[in-house]
Amino acid sequence: MIQCLFLLSDAGDVILEKQWMGKRVERSICSWFWRQRSEKEDQDPPSVIASPTHYLLHIVREGVTFLACTASEMPPLLGIEFLCKVASVLENYLGGLNEDILKDNFVIVYEILDEMMDSGFPSTTEPSVLKEIIAPPNLVSRVLSVVTGTSSSLNAASPLATSSQVSWRASNVKHSNNEIYFDLVEEMDAVFNRDGFVVKCEAYGEIQATSRLSGMPELSLTFANTDILHDVNFHPCVRYRAWEADQMLSFIPPDGAFKLMSYRVKGLKNPPLFVRPQLSSGEGICRVNVLVGLRGDPGKPVDAIIVQLPWPPSVVSTNLSASVGTVTYSFSTKVSTWIIGRIPKDKSPCLSGTLQLEPGINRLEEFPTFLVGFKIQGTAVSGLKVDKMDIRNVEYRPYKGFRAVTRAASYEIRT
Amino acid sequence: MNADSGHRKGEIAELKSQLRQLAGSRAPGVEEVKRELYKKVISYMTIGIDVSSLFSEMVMCSATSDLVVKKMCYLYVGNYAKVHPDLALLTINFLQRDCQDDDPMIRGLALRSLCSLRVMNFVEYLVGSLRKGLKDNNGYVRQVAAMGVLKLYHIAPTACIENDFVATLKSMLSQDPDAQVREWSRTVCVRWKRFWFWREPTVTVQTKIGRCYIASKSIKDFSEWAQCLVLDMVSKYIPVDPNETFDIMNLLEDRLQHSNSAVVLATIKVFLQLTISMADVHQQVYERIKAPLLTLISSGSPELSYAVLSHLHLLVMRAPILFSSDYKHFYCRYSDPSYVKKLKIEMLTAVASESNMYEIVTELSEYAANVDVGITREAIRAVGKIALNLCDVNAIVDRLLQFLEMERDYVTAETLVLVKDLVRKYPEWSHDCIAVVGNVSSKSIQEPKAKAALIWMLGEYSHDMLDAPYVLESFVDNWLEEDSPEVRLELLTAAAKIFFKRPPESQKLLGAALAAAVDDPDQDVHDKGLFYYRLLQQGVQTAESIVNPPKKAVSDFADIQNSEMRDRIFDEFNSLSVIYREPSYMFLDKEHRKLYEFSDEAAPTDVLPTQKLDANDNDLLLGAFDKEESQSGVSNGDDGPLSAPRSPSPTLLGDSVPPVSASNIPAAFGIDDLLGLNISTPPPPPPSLVLSSKPVLDSGTFQKKWSQLPVALSFEHPISAQSLKTTQPLLRHMQEKSVQCMASGGQSPTFKFFFFAQKADGMPGTGFFLVECLVHTSAGKASVKVKSEDSTFTAAFSDLFKSALSSFII
Repeated sequence: MIQCLFLLSDAGDVILEKQWMGKRVERSICSWFWRQRSEKEDQDPPSVIASPTHYLLHIVREGVTFLACTASEMPPLLGIEFLCKVASVLENYLGGLNEDILKDNFVIVYEILDEMMDSGFPSTTEPSVLKEIIAPPNLVSRVLSVVTGTSSSLNAASPLATSSQVSWRASNVKHSNNEIYFDLVEEMDAVFNRDGFVVKCEAYGEIQATSRLSGMPELSLTFANTDILHDVNFHPCVRYRAWEADQMLSFIPPDGAFKLMSYRVKGLKNPPLFVRPQLSSGEGICRVNVLVGLRGDPGKPVDAIIVQLPWPPSVVSTNLSASVGTVTYSFSTKVSTWIIGRIPKDKSPCLSGTLQLEPGINRLEEFPTFLVGFKIQGTAVSGLKVDKMDIRNVEYRPYKGFRAVTRAASYEIRT
Repeated sequence: MNADSGHRKGEIAELKSQLRQLAGSRAPGVEEVKRELYKKVISYMTIGIDVSSLFSEMVMCSATSDLVVKKMCYLYVGNYAKVHPDLALLTINFLQRDCQDDDPMIRGLALRSLCSLRVMNFVEYLVGSLRKGLKDNNGYVRQVAAMGVLKLYHIAPTACIENDFVATLKSMLSQDPDAQVREWSRTVCVRWKRFWFWREPTVTVQTKIGRCYIASKSIKDFSEWAQCLVLDMVSKYIPVDPNETFDIMNLLEDRLQHSNSAVVLATIKVFLQLTISMADVHQQVYERIKAPLLTLISSGSPELSYAVLSHLHLLVMRAPILFSSDYKHFYCRYSDPSYVKKLKIEMLTAVASESNMYEIVTELSEYAANVDVGITREAIRAVGKIALNLCDVNAIVDRLLQFLEMERDYVTAETLVLVKDLVRKYPEWSHDCIAVVGNVSSKSIQEPKAKAALIWMLGEYSHDMLDAPYVLESFVDNWLEEDSPEVRLELLTAAAKIFFKRPPESQKLLGAALAAAVDDPDQDVHDKGLFYYRLLQQGVQTAESIVNPPKKAVSDFADIQNSEMRDRIFDEFNSLSVIYREPSYMFLDKEHRKLYEFSDEAAPTDVLPTQKLDANDNDLLLGAFDKEESQSGVSNGDDGPLSAPRSPSPTLLGDSVPPVSASNIPAAFGIDDLLGLNISTPPPPPPSLVLSSKPVLDSGTFQKKWSQLPVALSFEHPISAQSLKTTQPLLRHMQEKSVQCMASGGQSPTFKFFFFAQKADGMPGTGFFLVECLVHTSAGKASVKVKSEDSTFTAAFSDLFKSALSSFII
């Protein structure tokens, strides 16, 4: 069972702590933890480690370390998954995560932590239910509280005033405009070797939904091609039997934003971009030549193309220029960033120039890996298509929206 | 620093007086001021400044209609009530008042704060508020009250039973109009149940429960977190027949599709444990759980992926073939943290087989060119390990030799160590390898292990390397600069071996090496030097037959972890043990194994007979489910062949043993001991202690235990050891008393010893006593520090230890 949670800044200071048990855990455990980190040259220790007195589980989000302590055996994923939930709920509530935001809102952070865990065991973690109990500190309420000095961060309506049939949704939800949006977000991992061959290519998808529907809507969603899905995970509201029988998502949605399902895509073989690097070094200088282009036609334009080139420590300076887009170099991180955007029709992007190596080093000894980012609006790379969405058990006709986007997650080019 | 803390003190005093002024004030705008002040206090508390001195002022100001102020007040009280038990009574009043508030949110929060104070004396106040809370018309309040019942139970079980809270909770499980409250009460019950397991890990109760939960088919009615607990219980269940196993798995299969990874892993554990005795089904289970596991490692956050990979590593050790076609999932991402990369490289090593070896080694070679030195080393070692594990090493040898051409010192160093092992296992490759190794410049190698490897190869294959004697000569010339005794030992042996093969070239070399070795400050090197010298006096052939006899190829290198250990860890699937790769008994001492889940208060004064509670408890759970199903479940459980024979103790416990207090779990262990030997030994007030004559403890574990355990006892004891010159006599003496020595050292007049001993009747790996003993021979006394894994025996052990010291005469 989790005894307490510390939020640490990127300098290792305690931003705030929350103790859930009678037995307190001293703050000194945080400095012990931070020492582990500095001993390993500021690389994070594994997410689960044992200190002399406690087991420590931690995750890092946006530079904030969420550190949980337990003195007894427990399922490790229960702890880590809980920390992930806390991080995402806080980020969602506060519109971001960093030391200042957390310090400005510590009262609401305490409130949230109080509801999410009770005496060491996770309790209310569903964002839509939490929002019934604790209202997010939105701009309006902030302005109000400044003006009147009285409004509280609480909902006017009291929580769980009416009883509900399902645990993730109150029965009295009312919206003046009824609408539901589905976002198909697919992320692609790919690795190319120095000869340009695909070493590995995978895609993961998520359907993020935002529901603003009154009453108790019964939704069903079907896809044109479910055979491409490999392993599927559902939000607890989804009825598994309906999926098993008809490959249909049947559910009563929580109110607000939630992750309806996530999946892995089978046998993907067409990464949309190629990057051809050529590096040759000698006599303290490395010549660089990188070409970028489309592989086949993804159907929709590929946007926001960006190539990151992290150089090994032996590189002293760079002199690079690009035929399309801009190149910048950061001295502190030794990373060149080439922002291409969209590939023009008439010109193929090319980056060329030289790297100056440290005196005494003749040729580049390490092989750097380039990282590529891109976005394709309007299409899911897997080809997953929504067939139709029905809504029952309500009087109104809601607005329905579907969007799809494909992004590069870990798109690597080896040189 | 001082000025700063003085400044702070001033600020706190200021806050104090400001709060005082506000306490009774009803002036307009006062709420606003209060809010600011409270915020300040809480922010001090948040950054770790002690503001407990404001306690009474904070409580006095708590009469307010402002919710935010109220919440901050609850927060403050919750944090400091324990420090001020005398003042805590103040809070009771206002919390109780708030429990009657019109706003359900305030009622709920106040009730939660009240229940969380966990102070025995307040039980009477708590009961009334709880009773009202359970009947509140608002769901949120009922929810808080349900949890409150559990908290109350842990400080005062009788109060809980007497007030019939259990029955109320039971009716809430199924009849509450609100789904969320029903779910919540289930969480409370299942946590309660778990608490019972820890108290009395008896098979009967577990099997019954396992059936109850399954038969009820109601897992979906629990919150996703409570599902993890339910699944954990189910995993301990032993099904009556294969049909039941399949039923359970069918019921739970959709849990593998849950978005919560903790639920997925808990389900996987159930599947693995249920089928453990059905080999073919067990294999099918592996196939079924593969996809969800791979999804978790690829799509989750790195922290999650690390935890899952640790579990996969365990599985892969048991079924390496299983993942051999999915090896690409273990390719490292550039952005993975290095602890994930390391684990992935281990996975790649483990899944390597004849079919995928080429791709995996190619991939690993990529990492060898990585910027991160740690990863580079791991990758090279992995290539070596694969080479040693598989028969077809053709392609791999090429790879390894290419590493040597990369001309990076640490790559070369790692590779040399591997090449050495490789030629020991595959002598047929020695020719190719040695050709390349011969080109390595001995000057570029600094690491002792690599140097030793190179020197070994020079000695062993001197006939293939023309310049071997001259390379070795340069090493011997630098004998004094060589820091590592390991290298000097290797050098001496290599000099001897080369002398047997190429005497004319290397006679001088051997002479120089022997001379240097005999003068060496290191004892081992010195001894070996003398040994060789005397061997050579017996004749060159005799010496050769001993120093360099014909060798056979090594077929298998020692495995790091034995399979029994792995099985033990496997039983603890989905626990922290898997991540540490050690079964929990090796790293959790009893102190931590007990569940002080709720309070560190003194044990409750009122305790119920176990049986009565048990009955209540089962009843409570049955209420949660369909009557029919659960009843059939229970009766089957009772008739089950496995439930009866293994558990004679529970009934004994229930009938004959005085009640066990709720928060004092180790007592149960004591009782087990009693049951074992209750006839010969009367229950000893100072427990009698028999030490194991042959305790087993390796030094690593000793160190770990030593650093984890607190000093249980330290004392000084006279010892007649004036003429003690070495550590040996005392060691032998203590050994006779079943106290073993882990390490010793020092010179007259001060010696230091680390001893250890183990309880005779304990579980293997537990019940250790660790001792640090400083002997001052001139003063005639020993300072002793004792650390103990079983605190009940500390006193007995130290008495034993003292008497052993007293009887030592030299």
